Amino acid sequence: MSSDEAFVLAVLAALKHVRLEAIVVGNVAAILQGAPVTTQDIDLLVRDTVGNRRKIGALGRALGSRPRPISPLTDSLRIDAPAGTVDLLFDHLPGRFSFQSLRARALQLDLAGSEAWVARLEDVIASKEAANRPKDRAQLAALRDTLRVKAALEAPAKPKKR
Amino acid sequence: MEKRRTPRRTSGALAKQIEEAKSRVAPLLPDMDPGDLDLIISSLLRPFGNGRRFFLRQVKPGVYVF
Repeated sequence: MSSDEAFVLAVLAALKHVRLEAIVVGNVAAILQGAPVTTQDIDLLVRDTVGNRRKIGALGRALGSRPRPISPLTDSLRIDAPAGTVDLLFDHLPGRFSFQSLRARALQLDLAGSEAWVARLEDVIASKEAANRPKDRAQLAALRDTLRVKAALEAPAKPKKR
Repeated sequence: MEKRRTPRRTSGALAKQIEEAKSRVAPLLPDMDPGDLDLIISSLLRPFGNGRRFFLRQVKPGVYVF
């Protein structure tokens, strides 16, 4: 297991410990569904509630760093843990995805015994298309190709001609 | 000597699975670059915990490492 995989498991364990319901979104969601891309952080989508804000403080303590605003232009928070970075996004993603709509379609993955709710690759792509930042556009070809390969792998095999 | 955590046959079985998937899928995606297809199928079929790297880390402005 790589240190990156261990960090993902540590984040999932911390989420469970503080009982914070979160959906893994962004490139980590894509990577967990086979996309050959990399990223700089784990993006998590959570509901913006008083209770969750409190839990995010506890999540920061569990991961070893205090949550801080990413920039004055957004309400998203960042936890710069020693082993990696976690970004917390609230309520919505670009592409008109609410927490509820994304959660309803999300995949429940078992990662080495840890449960993770992960946004579907189709939704990650739609969100990046809507965000349309240069770094999103740069990754889209690989994500779309991954979706095509997944579809081809899942297509029923044609019966052999006799 | 440290005991191997994964038996050799696992990586051999996975490699065979990847090759079979490639030969099945390649005709369905004739426009896809074979190198890209190889990379995607390998990423798709490798289970979590197989040593995958996710993150690039910025060590100084403009310099990133795995």
